[in-house]
Amino acid sequence: MELPNRPCLLAFCAKEPRFQEAFRAELRALGAPLFAFAPGSGTVFGADDEPRDIGAQPELWRIYGAGGAALTVVLLDEKQRIRLRREAPEAEGTLLAAIREAGRAVRAAPRGIGRRELLVNSLAVALGAAVLQACASARPAGVRKAVSGAPPLIDVSLVVNGQPRKLHVEPRLVLLDALRENLGLTGAKKGCDMGQCGACTVIVDGQRVNSCLKLVAQLEGANVTTIEGLVQGGQLHPMQEAFLREDAFQCGYCTPGQILSAIALLQEGKPKDDDEIRERMSGNLCRCGAYPNIVAAIRDVAGRA
Amino acid sequence: MRLFTFQRAANVDEAVASGAGAAFLAGGTNLVDLMKIEVLNPERVLDVSRLDLAKIELREGALQIGALASNTAVAEHAEVLRAAPGLSEALLSGASPQLRNGATVGGNLLQRTRCAYYRDLGTRCNKREPGSGCDAMEGWTRMHAVLGVSDNCIAAHPSDMCVALYALEAMVRVRGPAGERDIPIGELHLLPGDHPEREFSLRPAELITGVRVPIDALAARSRYVKVRDRQSYAFALASCAAAVQVEGGAIRAARFALGGVGTKPWRVPEAERSMQGRPPTRETFARAAEIALRGAAPRRDNAFKVELAKRTAVRALMLSAGAPS
Repeated sequence: MELPNRPCLLAFCAKEPRFQEAFRAELRALGAPLFAFAPGSGTVFGADDEPRDIGAQPELWRIYGAGGAALTVVLLDEKQRIRLRREAPEAEGTLLAAIREAGRAVRAAPRGIGRRELLVNSLAVALGAAVLQACASARPAGVRKAVSGAPPLIDVSLVVNGQPRKLHVEPRLVLLDALRENLGLTGAKKGCDMGQCGACTVIVDGQRVNSCLKLVAQLEGANVTTIEGLVQGGQLHPMQEAFLREDAFQCGYCTPGQILSAIALLQEGKPKDDDEIRERMSGNLCRCGAYPNIVAAIRDVAGRA
Repeated sequence: MRLFTFQRAANVDEAVASGAGAAFLAGGTNLVDLMKIEVLNPERVLDVSRLDLAKIELREGALQIGALASNTAVAEHAEVLRAAPGLSEALLSGASPQLRNGATVGGNLLQRTRCAYYRDLGTRCNKREPGSGCDAMEGWTRMHAVLGVSDNCIAAHPSDMCVALYALEAMVRVRGPAGERDIPIGELHLLPGDHPEREFSLRPAELITGVRVPIDALAARSRYVKVRDRQSYAFALASCAAAVQVEGGAIRAARFALGGVGTKPWRVPEAERSMQGRPPTRETFARAAEIALRGAAPRRDNAFKVELAKRTAVRALMLSAGAPS
């Protein structure tokens, strides 16, 4: 089957989706066709046309590695390049929320931006957000099939911020991406993505590590603490309060990593002076240069301990 | 990162039995990094991080350090601090606390070069792609080696820990399909020569299980000095692990190894012998350093390393000998 030379959405649903009138109205407003597939059937929802039957298209399931999740959604641009591919544990709500949000963004956009690029970008952002939301609130999915020819997916159980979480993932997934993309915990930041900046620092089994260099596959049973897990009973962690009090950040991007690193630092041992704090915080870079106040915040908490 | 098959080894025997053709994965701080930038692309990754190899103990006159002991655990271990302080100093001078928590001793022994050309798929590199050429030769060589270089490779060895282990004459214990053997650490790393892609003397499926560091009066005097572009969290421009034992005003035994300047940690027995029986003075140490740097072949941006390495060696030797510097 030929796909059109303009942005389009492919949705592969494990079960036949029930597309309601609201859904089609959103699609019309958006102006991108949706190719919706379920096992044994396929329907294209054009921007203006009535839904059209296009058959099951098993080849497309194979090409886009669909079938592993309740929903696999693929966003193609006008050159049929994959701009986004996401899996979600729930189909209809996720898709509807994403298309509605993308439609809003497209309608609200200023003039002068190429409509196709805008459409693709809006869809990508909205889909990403909706899928993330669906994943965060989902129950763990059952056993899934892998993309044919690709190595099998693996099951990993973790405890993240006190909550047991199950993942069914590619072996190459690193903890940072699992937290951000699969679990919706975007507090750990992707800076260099190569273990040099420390923005992705989280605490695994009591030790601070660079989550960008840790394969999730290795973490069966691990206990992970991220910045989202520091608040206790509505109270900020003392280190969070100290960072606020001492104005220990500017843009804030490195801050979650700084705070987790600082908490681990104090657990490892009380620093004797500022030089020791600086040396032991050397794995967390701050491009804004908030170092003096970061040191002050840590000194402050260390002094109260 | 390319796709790969992930397997977990339940024990050392299983790891060795299924290790051929696989990449052993422990802390991941080096391997996962290189897989992300697609310099290393194993089709099968064998997770050995859960094996029971993390013990550190003083036994039979040696520190027995399991291959999976983290860099942090070794650096902070009371017996290491007492019996081989230079090893602790070397470890603490490397990387960041986060990386040291993840990095293991076994992984550190096999740490790959930080040569920017090795890490950049857009350039030619004989280590990454044998026979393709070397863009470092006429490139930016500030971080490159001046000792042990060949026409095919000038990549510096990056490890601090290994430099200390060279000076301490550590033995590396490996287990392979043919059984267990001990490799003197100096023989673990290969010079680049005509085959920079061959980096280690390990045979297929051999797994490092631990390191044995002989403990004696010399090891207890070991020290590590590292000079770098910034005060913390940087690779060495030059470093030196030194151990000097003085008796009655004369040097009884002395060893030192250099880091940041060689294609592998650099030890020169003749330089060490030159100190024997002499007073622990700057002159004695400077002469030894002079001998150690013989044959240095600097390039455009790293000629300074020759003098820097000599001075770093003198400083480390003075520190170990307890001589006023």
